[in-house]
Amino acid sequence: MISMPPSDNDLHAYIDRQLSEADQRLVDTYLANHPEIAAKVRAWQQDTQRLRTALGGMLQQPANPALDPATIRQRLKHRSRRYLASAAVLLLAVSMGGLGGWHAREMTLLSTAAPMADAMQAYRLFAQQGILPADYQTGDEHSMQDWLDRYFNQINRLPDLSGAGFKPVSGRLLSTEQGAAAMVVYQDPGGQKISFYVRPPGPRNFLLPRGSRRDGELQAEYWSGPGYNYAMVIPSDLPAAQKLRQTLDF
Amino acid sequence: MNELDDQLRVLIPRLRRFALSLTRNPSNADDLVQACLERALSKWNDRRPEGDLRAWLFSILYRQFLDAHRRSRRYARMLEFFTGRDDSQPSAERSVIAQSSLQAFDQLTTEQRALLLWVSVEGLSYQQVADILDVPTGTVMSRLSRARQALRQLSEGEITRPALRRLK
Repeated sequence: MISMPPSDNDLHAYIDRQLSEADQRLVDTYLANHPEIAAKVRAWQQDTQRLRTALGGMLQQPANPALDPATIRQRLKHRSRRYLASAAVLLLAVSMGGLGGWHAREMTLLSTAAPMADAMQAYRLFAQQGILPADYQTGDEHSMQDWLDRYFNQINRLPDLSGAGFKPVSGRLLSTEQGAAAMVVYQDPGGQKISFYVRPPGPRNFLLPRGSRRDGELQAEYWSGPGYNYAMVIPSDLPAAQKLRQTLDF
Repeated sequence: MNELDDQLRVLIPRLRRFALSLTRNPSNADDLVQACLERALSKWNDRRPEGDLRAWLFSILYRQFLDAHRRSRRYARMLEFFTGRDDSQPSAERSVIAQSSLQAFDQLTTEQRALLLWVSVEGLSYQQVADILDVPTGTVMSRLSRARQALRQLSEGEITRPALRRLK
Protein backbone atom coordinates (compact mmCIF):
# COMPACT_ATOMS: atom_id res chain seq x y z
CA MET A 1 0.00 0.00 0.00
CA ILE A 2 1.41 3.39 -0.95
CA SER A 3 1.18 6.38 1.40
CA MET A 4 -0.62 9.63 0.63
CA PRO A 5 0.18 12.03 -0.91
CA PRO A 6 1.72 9.80 -3.60
CA SER A 7 5.42 10.36 -4.36
CA ASP A 8 6.64 11.04 -7.90
CA ASN A 9 7.70 7.40 -8.13
CA ASP A 10 4.18 6.34 -7.20
CA LEU A 11 2.76 8.58 -9.90
CA HIS A 12 5.03 7.03 -12.52
CA ALA A 13 4.10 3.56 -11.34
CA TYR A 14 0.47 4.70 -11.66
CA ILE A 15 1.05 5.77 -15.28
CA ASP A 16 2.77 2.48 -16.03
CA ARG A 17 0.00 0.50 -14.32
CA GLN A 18 2.49 -1.12 -12.00
CA LEU A 19 0.52 -0.39 -8.82
CA SER A 20 -1.86 -2.82 -7.22
CA GLU A 21 -5.52 -2.25 -8.11
CA ALA A 22 -6.23 -0.78 -4.69
CA ASP A 23 -3.33 1.69 -5.01
CA GLN A 24 -4.34 2.53 -8.56
CA ARG A 25 -7.81 3.51 -7.28
CA LEU A 26 -6.30 5.45 -4.40
CA VAL A 27 -4.28 7.57 -6.83
CA ASP A 28 -7.38 8.04 -9.03
CA THR A 29 -9.20 9.54 -6.08
CA TYR A 30 -6.24 11.67 -5.09
CA LEU A 31 -5.86 13.06 -8.60
CA ALA A 32 -9.56 13.89 -8.79
CA ASN A 33 -9.03 16.23 -5.85
CA HIS A 34 -5.69 17.69 -6.87
CA PRO A 35 -6.04 19.21 -10.34
CA GLU A 36 -2.47 20.60 -10.52
CA ILE A 37 -0.93 17.16 -9.85
CA ALA A 38 -3.46 15.63 -12.25
CA ALA A 39 -2.29 18.03 -14.97
CA LYS A 40 1.32 16.96 -14.42
CA VAL A 41 0.37 13.30 -14.64
CA ARG A 42 -1.68 13.95 -17.78
CA ALA A 43 1.29 15.62 -19.47
CA TRP A 44 3.44 12.58 -18.74
CA GLN A 45 0.70 10.33 -20.04
CA GLN A 46 0.49 12.36 -23.23
CA ASP A 47 4.25 12.17 -23.71
CA THR A 48 4.03 8.42 -23.28
CA GLN A 49 1.21 8.15 -25.77
CA ARG A 50 3.03 10.30 -28.30
CA LEU A 51 6.16 8.20 -27.91
CA ARG A 52 4.19 5.01 -28.48
CA THR A 53 2.64 6.39 -31.65
CA ALA A 54 5.92 7.70 -33.02
CA LEU A 55 7.89 4.54 -32.24
CA GLY A 56 5.03 2.41 -33.52
CA GLY A 57 5.97 3.39 -37.05
CA MET A 58 9.39 1.83 -36.59
CA LEU A 59 7.84 -1.62 -36.38
CA GLN A 60 6.86 -1.39 -40.03
CA GLN A 61 10.31 -1.73 -41.59
CA PRO A 62 10.66 -4.03 -44.60
CA ALA A 63 12.04 -7.41 -43.53
CA ASN A 64 15.80 -7.94 -43.65
CA PRO A 65 16.57 -11.53 -44.71
CA ALA A 66 20.02 -11.34 -43.07
CA LEU A 67 18.28 -11.21 -39.71
CA ASP A 68 16.30 -14.40 -40.13
CA PRO A 69 17.14 -16.86 -37.33
CA ALA A 70 17.65 -19.71 -39.83
CA THR A 71 20.24 -17.65 -41.74
CA ILE A 72 22.02 -16.69 -38.54
CA ARG A 73 22.06 -20.28 -37.32
CA GLN A 74 23.64 -21.31 -40.61
CA ARG A 75 26.34 -18.68 -40.27
CA LEU A 76 27.12 -19.73 -36.71
CA LYS A 77 27.50 -23.34 -37.82
CA HIS A 78 30.03 -22.36 -40.49
CA ARG A 79 31.99 -20.39 -37.98
CA SER A 80 32.15 -23.17 -35.40
CA ARG A 81 33.25 -25.63 -38.08
CA ARG A 82 36.17 -23.37 -38.91
CA TYR A 83 36.96 -23.17 -35.21
CA LEU A 84 36.83 -26.96 -34.83
CA ALA A 85 39.18 -27.36 -37.76
CA SER A 86 41.82 -25.17 -36.14
CA ALA A 87 41.24 -26.91 -32.81
CA ALA A 88 41.97 -30.24 -34.51
CA VAL A 89 45.28 -28.95 -35.85
CA LEU A 90 46.15 -27.72 -32.39
CA LEU A 91 45.39 -31.13 -30.91
CA LEU A 92 47.59 -32.77 -33.51
CA ALA A 93 50.35 -30.31 -32.73
CA VAL A 94 50.17 -31.01 -29.01
CA SER A 95 50.13 -34.78 -29.45
CA MET A 96 53.23 -34.63 -31.63
CA GLY A 97 54.84 -33.27 -28.49
CA GLY A 98 58.02 -31.43 -27.74
CA LEU A 99 59.39 -28.38 -29.41
CA GLY A 100 57.97 -29.37 -32.76
CA GLY A 101 54.49 -29.36 -31.29
CA TRP A 102 54.99 -26.01 -29.71
CA HIS A 103 56.26 -24.58 -32.94
CA ALA A 104 53.30 -26.05 -34.80
CA ARG A 105 51.01 -24.45 -32.28
CA GLU A 106 52.48 -21.10 -33.04
CA MET A 107 51.98 -21.72 -36.74
CA THR A 108 48.37 -22.58 -36.04
CA LEU A 109 47.84 -19.38 -34.14
CA LEU A 110 49.26 -17.41 -37.00
CA SER A 111 47.22 -19.18 -39.59
CA THR A 112 43.93 -19.01 -37.68
CA ALA A 113 44.20 -15.35 -38.41
CA ALA A 114 43.64 -16.11 -42.09
CA PRO A 115 45.78 -13.98 -44.41
CA MET A 116 44.64 -10.39 -44.47
CA ALA A 117 41.49 -11.12 -42.49
CA ASP A 118 41.79 -7.57 -41.21
CA ALA A 119 41.61 -6.26 -44.77
CA MET A 120 38.29 -8.02 -45.30
CA GLN A 121 37.04 -6.89 -41.93
CA ALA A 122 37.92 -3.31 -42.79
CA TYR A 123 36.16 -3.60 -46.13
CA ARG A 124 32.99 -4.87 -44.47
CA LEU A 125 33.05 -2.15 -41.85
CA PHE A 126 33.89 0.83 -43.95
CA ALA A 127 33.14 0.13 -47.60
CA GLN A 128 30.00 -1.95 -47.19
CA GLN A 129 28.43 -0.64 -44.05
CA GLY A 130 29.86 2.85 -44.00
CA ILE A 131 29.88 2.89 -40.21
CA LEU A 132 32.40 5.68 -39.92
CA PRO A 133 33.11 8.54 -42.29
CA ALA A 134 36.33 8.55 -44.31
CA ASP A 135 39.47 10.28 -43.04
CA TYR A 136 40.29 11.52 -46.46
CA GLN A 137 38.19 12.01 -49.58
CA THR A 138 39.25 12.92 -53.06
CA GLY A 139 38.44 12.33 -56.68
CA ASP A 140 42.03 12.20 -57.72
CA GLU A 141 44.73 9.58 -57.60
CA HIS A 142 47.70 11.87 -56.93
CA SER A 143 46.36 13.49 -53.84
CA MET A 144 45.37 10.08 -52.50
CA GLN A 145 48.93 8.89 -53.02
CA ASP A 146 50.22 11.99 -51.19
CA TRP A 147 47.88 11.27 -48.33
CA LEU A 148 49.16 7.69 -48.04
CA ASP A 149 52.78 8.80 -48.28
CA ARG A 150 52.23 11.05 -45.29
CA TYR A 151 51.71 7.99 -43.10
CA PHE A 152 53.74 5.26 -44.77
CA ASN A 153 57.33 5.42 -45.97
CA GLN A 154 58.16 3.56 -49.16
CA ILE A 155 54.65 2.34 -49.78
CA ASN A 156 53.79 0.81 -53.18
CA ARG A 157 52.22 3.13 -55.70
CA LEU A 158 48.45 2.85 -55.59
CA PRO A 159 47.37 0.47 -58.33
CA ASP A 160 45.88 2.18 -61.35
CA LEU A 161 42.51 0.54 -61.84
CA SER A 162 41.03 3.13 -64.16
CA GLY A 163 41.12 0.50 -66.93
CA ALA A 164 38.38 -1.33 -65.10
CA GLY A 165 36.61 1.94 -64.32
CA PHE A 166 37.66 2.24 -60.68
CA LYS A 167 39.01 5.42 -59.09
CA PRO A 168 40.22 5.99 -55.51
CA VAL A 169 37.60 7.99 -53.63
CA SER A 170 38.29 7.75 -49.91
CA GLY A 171 40.92 6.69 -47.44
CA ARG A 172 40.84 5.57 -43.86
CA LEU A 173 43.52 4.96 -41.24
CA LEU A 174 43.22 1.89 -39.06
CA SER A 175 45.15 0.25 -36.31
CA THR A 176 46.29 -3.37 -36.32
CA GLU A 177 48.40 -5.36 -33.93
CA GLN A 178 51.32 -4.75 -36.25
CA GLY A 179 50.90 -0.99 -36.37
CA ALA A 180 49.06 1.61 -38.39
CA ALA A 181 47.28 0.41 -41.51
CA ALA A 182 45.31 2.18 -44.21
CA MET A 183 42.53 1.35 -46.58
CA VAL A 184 41.77 3.16 -49.81
CA VAL A 185 38.34 2.61 -51.31
CA TYR A 186 37.98 2.65 -55.08
CA GLN A 187 34.64 3.17 -56.69
CA ASP A 188 33.34 2.77 -60.22
CA PRO A 189 30.59 4.89 -61.81
CA GLY A 190 28.08 2.18 -60.89
CA GLY A 191 28.89 2.63 -57.18
CA GLN A 192 30.71 -0.70 -56.84
CA LYS A 193 33.47 -0.57 -54.27
CA ILE A 194 36.77 -2.36 -53.91
CA SER A 195 39.55 -1.65 -51.48
CA PHE A 196 43.32 -1.45 -51.37
CA TYR A 197 44.70 -2.28 -47.95
CA VAL A 198 48.18 -1.84 -46.57
CA ARG A 199 49.74 -2.71 -43.25
CA PRO A 200 53.19 -3.36 -41.79
CA PRO A 201 54.20 -7.02 -41.37
CA GLY A 202 55.00 -6.51 -37.68
CA PRO A 203 58.13 -7.29 -35.67
CA ARG A 204 58.06 -10.93 -36.82
CA ASN A 205 58.31 -9.71 -40.36
CA PHE A 206 55.44 -11.95 -41.31
CA LEU A 207 55.42 -11.50 -45.06
CA LEU A 208 52.97 -13.20 -47.34
CA PRO A 209 53.43 -15.21 -50.50
CA ARG A 210 51.27 -13.94 -53.33
CA GLY A 211 47.87 -15.50 -52.95
CA SER A 212 44.17 -15.08 -52.89
CA ARG A 213 41.46 -16.14 -50.54
CA ARG A 214 37.71 -16.11 -50.57
CA ASP A 215 35.64 -15.39 -47.49
CA GLY A 216 31.88 -15.30 -47.98
CA GLU A 217 31.04 -12.75 -50.62
CA LEU A 218 34.53 -11.23 -50.69
CA GLN A 219 37.73 -12.15 -52.44
CA ALA A 220 41.11 -10.91 -51.21
CA GLU A 221 44.21 -10.81 -53.39
CA TYR A 222 47.24 -10.39 -51.20
CA TRP A 223 50.97 -9.99 -51.56
CA SER A 224 53.93 -8.37 -49.83
CA GLY A 225 56.14 -5.57 -51.03
CA PRO A 226 59.23 -4.12 -49.33
CA GLY A 227 58.17 -3.41 -45.78
CA TYR A 228 54.43 -3.88 -46.14
CA ASN A 229 51.69 -6.42 -46.68
CA TYR A 230 49.03 -5.53 -49.21
CA ALA A 231 45.58 -6.75 -50.06
CA MET A 232 42.97 -5.90 -52.61
CA VAL A 233 39.46 -6.77 -51.49
CA ILE A 234 36.90 -7.31 -54.22
CA PRO A 235 33.29 -8.52 -53.99
CA SER A 236 33.43 -11.93 -55.69
CA ASP A 237 30.29 -11.34 -57.73
CA LEU A 238 31.67 -8.17 -59.27
CA PRO A 239 31.50 -8.40 -63.09
CA ALA A 240 34.89 -6.69 -63.38
CA ALA A 241 36.56 -9.01 -60.83
CA GLN A 242 38.47 -11.02 -63.44
CA LYS A 243 39.73 -7.93 -65.19
CA LEU A 244 40.83 -6.39 -61.89
CA ARG A 245 42.84 -9.43 -60.91
CA GLN A 246 44.69 -9.22 -64.19
CA THR A 247 45.42 -5.54 -63.63
CA LEU A 248 47.16 -6.29 -60.33
CA ASP A 249 50.40 -7.44 -61.86
CA PHE A 250 52.97 -5.86 -59.65
CA MET B 1 14.40 -25.49 -33.64
CA ASN B 2 11.68 -24.20 -35.92
CA GLU B 3 9.38 -23.36 -33.08
CA LEU B 4 12.19 -21.44 -31.45
CA ASP B 5 12.98 -19.60 -34.67
CA ASP B 6 9.34 -18.62 -34.90
CA GLN B 7 9.45 -17.19 -31.40
CA LEU B 8 12.48 -15.14 -32.39
CA ARG B 9 11.01 -14.05 -35.72
CA VAL B 10 8.04 -12.45 -34.02
CA LEU B 11 10.35 -10.34 -31.88
CA ILE B 12 12.67 -9.14 -34.63
CA PRO B 13 10.67 -5.99 -35.50
CA ARG B 14 10.82 -5.02 -31.81
CA LEU B 15 14.52 -5.64 -31.62
CA ARG B 16 15.05 -3.57 -34.75
CA ARG B 17 13.03 -0.74 -33.29
CA PHE B 18 14.98 -0.82 -30.07
CA ALA B 19 18.28 -0.94 -31.95
CA LEU B 20 17.17 1.96 -34.13
CA SER B 21 16.29 4.07 -31.12
CA LEU B 22 19.77 3.43 -29.75
CA THR B 23 21.89 3.80 -32.91
CA ARG B 24 19.60 6.17 -34.89
CA ASN B 25 20.90 4.57 -38.07
CA PRO B 26 19.02 1.76 -39.85
CA SER B 27 22.02 -0.20 -41.10
CA ASN B 28 23.89 0.04 -37.81
CA ALA B 29 20.69 -0.98 -36.09
CA ASP B 30 20.39 -4.12 -38.20
CA ASP B 31 24.02 -4.99 -37.55
CA LEU B 32 23.33 -4.68 -33.88
CA VAL B 33 20.25 -6.92 -34.14
CA GLN B 34 22.26 -9.47 -36.08
CA ALA B 35 25.01 -9.51 -33.45
CA CYS B 36 22.37 -9.80 -30.76
CA LEU B 37 20.67 -12.77 -32.43
CA GLU B 38 24.01 -14.50 -32.98
CA ARG B 39 24.82 -14.13 -29.35
CA ALA B 40 21.36 -15.24 -28.27
CA LEU B 41 21.47 -18.37 -30.42
CA SER B 42 24.93 -19.35 -29.24
CA LYS B 43 24.10 -18.71 -25.59
CA TRP B 44 20.63 -20.19 -25.78
CA ASN B 45 21.27 -22.70 -23.01
CA ASP B 46 22.25 -19.99 -20.52
CA ARG B 47 18.79 -18.53 -20.72
CA ARG B 48 16.48 -18.91 -17.77
CA PRO B 49 13.66 -20.95 -19.29
CA GLU B 50 10.98 -19.22 -17.23
CA GLY B 51 12.30 -15.75 -18.08
CA ASP B 52 10.76 -13.44 -20.65
CA LEU B 53 12.44 -13.96 -24.03
CA ARG B 54 11.91 -10.37 -25.12
CA ALA B 55 13.50 -8.93 -21.98
CA TRP B 56 16.44 -11.30 -22.34
CA LEU B 57 17.04 -10.24 -25.95
CA PHE B 58 16.72 -6.56 -25.05
CA SER B 59 19.36 -7.00 -22.41
CA ILE B 60 21.79 -8.70 -24.81
CA LEU B 61 21.25 -6.05 -27.44
CA TYR B 62 21.62 -3.20 -24.96
CA ARG B 63 24.87 -4.55 -23.60
CA GLN B 64 26.28 -5.05 -27.08
CA PHE B 65 25.35 -1.52 -28.01
CA LEU B 66 27.13 -0.12 -24.96
CA ASP B 67 30.25 -2.18 -25.74
CA ALA B 68 30.32 -1.15 -29.38
CA HIS B 69 29.72 2.45 -28.44
CA ARG B 70 32.62 2.40 -26.01
CA ARG B 71 34.86 0.83 -28.65
CA SER B 72 33.93 3.34 -31.31
CA ARG B 73 34.56 6.23 -28.93
CA ARG B 74 38.02 4.87 -28.24
CA TYR B 75 38.54 4.44 -31.97
CA ALA B 76 37.45 7.99 -32.68
CA ARG B 77 39.94 9.30 -30.14
CA MET B 78 42.70 7.32 -31.77
CA LEU B 79 41.80 8.72 -35.17
CA GLU B 80 41.85 12.19 -33.79
CA PHE B 81 45.32 11.51 -32.51
CA PHE B 82 46.50 10.33 -35.92
CA THR B 83 44.87 12.91 -38.09
CA GLY B 84 44.54 15.81 -35.71
CA ARG B 85 40.84 16.18 -36.20
CA ASP B 86 37.64 14.79 -34.86
CA ASP B 87 35.54 12.64 -37.15
CA SER B 88 33.28 11.28 -34.51
CA GLN B 89 30.52 13.82 -35.08
CA PRO B 90 27.90 12.05 -37.17
CA SER B 91 26.31 13.95 -39.98
CA ALA B 92 22.76 15.20 -39.81
CA GLU B 93 21.43 12.57 -42.18
CA ARG B 94 22.40 9.83 -39.76
CA SER B 95 19.70 10.91 -37.43
CA VAL B 96 16.64 9.13 -38.76
CA ILE B 97 14.65 9.89 -35.68
CA ALA B 98 15.11 13.59 -36.21
CA GLN B 99 12.73 13.40 -39.15
CA SER B 100 9.86 12.14 -37.05
CA SER B 101 8.20 13.82 -34.12
CA LEU B 102 10.77 12.42 -31.75
CA GLN B 103 13.29 15.20 -31.45
CA ALA B 104 12.90 15.41 -27.71
CA PHE B 105 13.27 11.67 -27.27
CA ASP B 106 16.34 11.75 -29.46
CA GLN B 107 18.06 14.16 -27.10
CA LEU B 108 17.75 11.95 -24.05
CA THR B 109 20.69 9.88 -22.86
CA THR B 110 21.06 6.32 -24.11
CA GLU B 111 19.81 4.87 -20.87
CA GLN B 112 16.84 7.19 -20.71
CA ARG B 113 15.81 6.24 -24.24
CA ALA B 114 16.13 2.56 -23.39
CA LEU B 115 14.15 3.00 -20.17
CA LEU B 116 11.27 4.83 -21.81
CA LEU B 117 11.11 2.34 -24.66
CA TRP B 118 11.12 -0.64 -22.32
CA VAL B 119 8.58 0.73 -19.86
CA SER B 120 6.35 3.11 -21.79
CA VAL B 121 6.37 1.46 -25.20
CA GLU B 122 7.11 -2.22 -24.63
CA GLY B 123 5.39 -2.36 -21.26
CA LEU B 124 8.11 -4.28 -19.41
CA SER B 125 7.70 -4.39 -15.64
CA TYR B 126 10.02 -2.43 -13.34
CA GLN B 127 11.38 -5.76 -12.14
CA GLN B 128 12.30 -6.85 -15.68
CA VAL B 129 14.03 -3.55 -16.34
CA ALA B 130 15.85 -3.83 -13.00
CA ASP B 131 17.11 -7.25 -14.07
CA ILE B 132 18.34 -5.93 -17.42
CA LEU B 133 20.20 -3.00 -15.88
CA ASP B 134 21.23 -5.01 -12.84
CA VAL B 135 20.04 -2.36 -10.37
CA PRO B 136 17.29 -2.37 -7.67
CA THR B 137 13.72 -1.53 -8.77
CA GLY B 138 13.87 1.65 -6.69
CA THR B 139 16.71 2.86 -8.89
CA VAL B 140 14.73 2.02 -12.01
CA MET B 141 11.85 4.12 -10.69
CA SER B 142 13.95 7.15 -9.88
CA ARG B 143 15.76 6.99 -13.24
CA LEU B 144 12.46 6.61 -15.04
CA SER B 145 11.10 9.59 -13.18
CA ARG B 146 14.11 11.64 -14.25
CA ALA B 147 13.77 10.43 -17.86
CA ARG B 148 10.10 11.47 -17.99
CA GLN B 149 10.90 14.87 -16.55
CA ALA B 150 13.71 15.35 -19.05
CA LEU B 151 11.43 14.35 -21.92
CA ARG B 152 8.78 16.77 -20.67
CA GLN B 153 11.23 19.66 -20.44
CA LEU B 154 12.69 18.95 -23.86
CA SER B 155 9.22 18.71 -25.40
CA GLU B 156 8.30 22.08 -23.92
CA GLY B 157 11.60 23.58 -25.08
CA GLU B 158 10.90 22.36 -28.57
CA ILE B 159 7.74 24.37 -28.89
CA THR B 160 9.38 27.62 -27.86
CA ARG B 161 12.73 27.32 -29.67
CA PRO B 162 12.78 24.66 -32.36
CA ALA B 163 15.71 26.23 -34.19
CA LEU B 164 18.16 25.47 -31.43
CA ARG B 165 17.96 21.73 -31.73
CA ARG B 166 21.35 20.13 -31.70
CA LEU B 167 21.94 17.32 -34.18
CA LYS B 168 23.97 14.56 -32.67
